[in-house]
This record gives sequence, structure tokens and C-alpha cells, in this order.
Amino acid sequence: MRILLAGLLAVSPVWPQMAGSHRAFVVCPEIRDTKTSPCWLAEYSGETYFLGIQGGVAEDFYPPQLEHQVLVEGEVVAGPRVCGGIPLKPVKVSVMQEIDASCHTMLPAQDGIEAPPRVRVAPDSWVKTEGPGLSTLYFDFDNDFLSLHASGALIQAVAYFKKSGAARIEVAGYRGATLLSSGATLTEKAGLARVRAEKVAETLVGLGVPRAAVSVQAVDNPVPAKGAGDAWNRRVVVSVK
Amino acid sequence: MRFLVFCLVALGALWMAWAQDARVGELLPREATFENPSGRLTVLNADGPVATKGHPFFEPVGTNGRACVTCHQPANAMSVSGDAIRERWRASGGKDPIFAAIDGSNNPSLPQDQEASHSLLLKRGLFRIALQWPPARNAEPEFTIEVVSDPTGVNRDPRWGLTGVAHAVSVFRRPRPVANLKYVLEPDSTPFNVKLGVLLDKDPETGLPVSMNMMADARAGTLKIQAEDAYRTHLEGKKGLTPGELAQITAFEKQVYVAQTWDRGAKELTGGDGPGALGPANLLKEQAGVLNSPAKPVFLSFAAWQKDTEFRQSVARGNDIFLNRQFWVKNVGHINSIGLGNPAKRSCAVCHNAVMSGMDRAPGWVDLGTTNYPTWTEPDVASTTAELPVFKVTCRAEAKPHPFLGRVIYTSDPGRALITGKCADIGAITMGQFRGLAARAPYFVNGSAKTLMELVDYYDRRFDMRLTGQEKQDLVNFLGVL
Repeated sequence: MRILLAGLLAVSPVWPQMAGSHRAFVVCPEIRDTKTSPCWLAEYSGETYFLGIQGGVAEDFYPPQLEHQVLVEGEVVAGPRVCGGIPLKPVKVSVMQEIDASCHTMLPAQDGIEAPPRVRVAPDSWVKTEGPGLSTLYFDFDNDFLSLHASGALIQAVAYFKKSGAARIEVAGYRGATLLSSGATLTEKAGLARVRAEKVAETLVGLGVPRAAVSVQAVDNPVPAKGAGDAWNRRVVVSVK
Repeated sequence: MRFLVFCLVALGALWMAWAQDARVGELLPREATFENPSGRLTVLNADGPVATKGHPFFEPVGTNGRACVTCHQPANAMSVSGDAIRERWRASGGKDPIFAAIDGSNNPSLPQDQEASHSLLLKRGLFRIALQWPPARNAEPEFTIEVVSDPTGVNRDPRWGLTGVAHAVSVFRRPRPVANLKYVLEPDSTPFNVKLGVLLDKDPETGLPVSMNMMADARAGTLKIQAEDAYRTHLEGKKGLTPGELAQITAFEKQVYVAQTWDRGAKELTGGDGPGALGPANLLKEQAGVLNSPAKPVFLSFAAWQKDTEFRQSVARGNDIFLNRQFWVKNVGHINSIGLGNPAKRSCAVCHNAVMSGMDRAPGWVDLGTTNYPTWTEPDVASTTAELPVFKVTCRAEAKPHPFLGRVIYTSDPGRALITGKCADIGAITMGQFRGLAARAPYFVNGSAKTLMELVDYYDRRFDMRLTGQEKQDLVNFLGVL
């Protein structure tokens, strides 16, 4: 009976009224083996959410890590479950820095639970480009890591700076806060806006932009948390002018 | 043909005997073949025969009688094997320059005429690497370091130790092969270290990115910087290498290729329609900087051997396991922490992804676990048989911790972290190339695997690969022919 119930839950669709609703929570992630790619899942408030499948650093989705909790921020997508979980899209997954040894759930492959096919999508979780001279780089919570996509955007920004004969590049860093579904707020550590901005600025210099042509601004007051969209406040804006 | 091979082997052995004593004056031929326990290794000088007389790679240009060739022997795939080191102790009564007190002994303060004072070199082929602490590049490291166990006494030595005059952390490492270097030095196609999201180091002369894959801790980015560092440390040179000497050393290093060419089981490894990756001529021919793909697997195709002799079939199966057998790669710093997920269901070739070398196209320092508790290769800290030092590393509260070991880590070699001062780098060691393995046991940075089987066993345990005895042997046979 339990197996039957579990099976039904695994395939039951997501009701349309749930679609678009925002979820933000910090939990231990889970990985489920499948016949193809492993799926990453997270359980929160009695429900299982599908985060993404194992991929490479060229993908938009950078998977969680067992041994660490993960901050999940995403919007519910209507339609069938994926790999047994409610899909979230877009979804931003941030690995929490400290180790949590209780995060070690590995689920075996199970008949009827399959990973979705791999689809290459734009790296919207990491970078947004608005014209050749304006890029916004997004960051994981409490993190200044430049993903492959973000570093690619910086290479392009420098190429545009050199080609266009622009005079300067402005770098503006921000830190954010996240309103969790529980009602609590997580705020990034103080000073992170400057750390992010200076890291980007140093990278631009390393890529060949004269130091004098790079200006750095840091907005260290966290953008107030409001739920949906909080993930996109953790950013650095790069403007070639 | 057999006679010709025999002559080449004999000539090579003769040449080696001269070169070992740095009594140079001979010619290293364009191709020289040397016996090893699995078969024969060939050294190929792409630019033609090398006159060793007066050549700074082969001459003792420092002050302690050593030359580069002392620890980078052609017969040992341009590294040096444990067997060769032990033979040199026997032949020289411990007087060979390879046993120089500075790093060929466990501790320069020990009596140098005793075998026990050189036990790490004799048992494991390890040289002492003394690294200034805190590192010059990072005066405020993210962690503090304490000596917990010091079997050699060097890390607590008043002159050489961490709190001594030297202010150095001494770790013990195997020398890397100085060969096939186009595969080692070719930087990734992006100027970034894609694992860490930072720019690659640059060659200070050209301003171009370097691969950061040459040394165990990536502390030197170019052959020139490495040569100067080795001259000052390993050779105890004082007056400096001249530009001409540096040019000669680096030119030699760039053109030398090594690989097995004959194996006791597989027999001839090159020629005919055999695997296109084997032998040094193929290393010379192939292009560097190519990433593993179905169209061009790491060691190309072994299909021709799938229906060959039993041994060759075993090699082909080993290659297939290396390329395709998936297992859970777990808790590996700079693999599972860089956007691939922890764990990741992958094969060996996902990390060892550079065609022809089996290294990583990106900077390849990862914390596989060989030097960090609890996955290290060593016996318990408390064991009286412990040979390597043990350090307790404590990360500062404001620093990012090691991704899978946290803030307090016991390690026998902090690896890359001794250069960067970063907790995330503790235990991270650059993966080495796979070529000429049969000629240069023992393996791993700390010489803990006496044989290729012990190396495979470590991976099997570390990642719960559940390899059968036959599969392990297939992997050993495969690695042995490279």
C-alpha cells in the first residue's frame, strides 16, 4: 500500500493553481540515481521538488552537494512531476558553506522514475546580457564564485571594450537577502558587495583592461527581501562606457 | 629486430650508468630504450641526439653534485623509480648526490651516512619539499598549521622546521616526469581556471596564461621558473643559471617524449594497426590541448586489441573501464565542489580528460584524498609505522572551509594550500600524467602505492567502485602499457 501511495505521489501532476508560486527554503538535498542521469531533489514541507539533473559546468544548473545544506529558490512549474518531484523553474541553488554531515541521502534508481532528457538552456542563472556593453552576473548566496558563464561574459565585455574604443568599465556590486517560505530572512554577509565587485574588477584588469579605466562601486546595503526575485539581487553589473 | 632492440637497450643502460653519476660526455640518442619491470620504455628526442657533455640538464651545475638528470632519469620516464634509487644507494654506499642532505634525506640534521636518515627516499622515492610558511604570495593565509606528528624530526627542527630558522613546512613528494611536456604545459582554452572562477597564472615574460599543471602544487608556471627554483633548492645552486643554461634546459625538456614501447604481456606496443596513443612517436605526433570526447577518447582507440591476444584484450577492457565505467565520485575537493555536484556519477576519464596524457585540461589540483584524513593512504596517526608528517590545519572562522572536511583537517601534505593559503585547497594535488608509469613506481604524490595494483586498489576503496579482481588487473594492464 505504501509503495502504491509513493508511486502515485511520484507521478501525480502539479496543480495549475500552484504554478508560479515561489519557494525558498534551506534543506539537505537528495540525489536519486536513474537509468540515465542522476536527479537532484529537495524535500520541503512534505513535498519533493525537482531541482535538476547532473550536468557539467557548461550547464545552467550547478548541482548541490551532499554534506551541505542547500538554499533553493525557485518558482513552481505546472505539469507532470519530473523525476518524482515538482519542478522549479527558474531555480537557483546555493550550496551552504558549512558542512552538514546529516546531508547524505542517496536514493537508488526506481522503476517509473526517470530523469528528463538533457536540454541545453541559456545560463540565465548566472548571467544576463543586455547589449554588448551591459552584463549582469549573478551569484550563489554568500558566494563570489564566477561561473564559466560569468567568466565568459567578462571575456566578451573586455573584447567589446577593446573593439569599441570605450573609455571605461563601471563595475557595481550588490549583496542580497532572501525571504524564505518559512517567513524567515537570510541576509548575505556584510562586505560581500565589495568583494564581488573587486573580484570582477581585478578580473577585468587581468584580462587586459587598464586599471585606471575600471571603476568600482559597492552597494553593501542588502536589497530588501521580498520572495520571488530575491536571487537576482546577488549580482554585479558590468557596464562598458 | 630483436638484436637491434637488445643493442639499444644495452646502449641505453650504459648511457644511464654514466648519466646517473653525472659523468656525462656521451650522446643521448634520438631514441633510447630502457628495460623496466613491465617491458621497455623508449625516450624520444624529437630534435635529434642530445650531446650531454656541457649540457646544464646533465651537468652538476649547482653545488651538491646533482644535475637535473639525477632525479629525472631517461630510464625512469624522466622521473626516478624507487628501485633505481635503492640501487644507487647500494652502488654508491649512500654517496650518490641524489642522497644530498638538503632534500634527499628525511632531515638534513640527521646523520647522513645512515640509511634510516634517507628512508622516505629509499622506501617511497620521496624528496623533501620545504615551503616557506606563511607563503610569500599570501602573508595572511586562511588557516593555521601545527605539527602533530613528525617522524623525520624536520618539521620541529630548530633550523629547518616550521618554527625554526627556515620557517618552512616540509612535505615529501615524488618527482614528476620531465617529458611529454607539450601536454602538460598547454593551457586550457579559456584564460580562466574554470573550476575556481579565477584567472590562470601568467607567464611573467609573455603575459600569456599558463596551464598550472606542471607541479604538484602548481607553484611554478613555466619551465624557466621551475628550473630556477630547482637549481636553488634541489641543486643548492648559488650563482644562478645563465640565460643560455636556462634556454638549453628548457629546450631539452620541451622536445623529449617518453612512453612504453614493449610490454611483457602485450609485446610490441607501436606500429601496425595497434592503438594510436602508444609509444613516444605518437605523443610527438598528436596535438596537445584536446579534451576527451567520443570522437577522440583520452588514449584514442584500443578497438584493434579487442579481438587480439588475451593480454591485449585485457588492456582494451582496462581502457574501456577507464573511459566508461561510472561510479560515484564523492567528496573530492575541486571536483565535487565546482558545479558538478557531490556526488557525481562519472568515469575516470571525466577528470583525467586530456587526450594522450590523462591529466586534466583545466588546472588539475584536486583533493582526491590521498593526503588528508580520513581517506589518506597512511596508517593511523598514532601508528608507530607512520612515515610521513601529520599537520593539523585549522581554518579561520571567516574563511571558507574545505568543502568536505570542514575547518579542522589532519593532513600529511596540504598540497596547493601551502601556496595559496586557502582552506579549499588543503590536500589538493595536481594530477600527474599517465605515461611511462611502468618505469617509475611508486605512485601517488606520496609514493604510497608501490604498484599499479595498489594504485587501483586505492581508487576502488575510495570510491566503492566494486571492481572485480579481473577488472583491477585489466586496469593495471592498461596503465602499464602507456
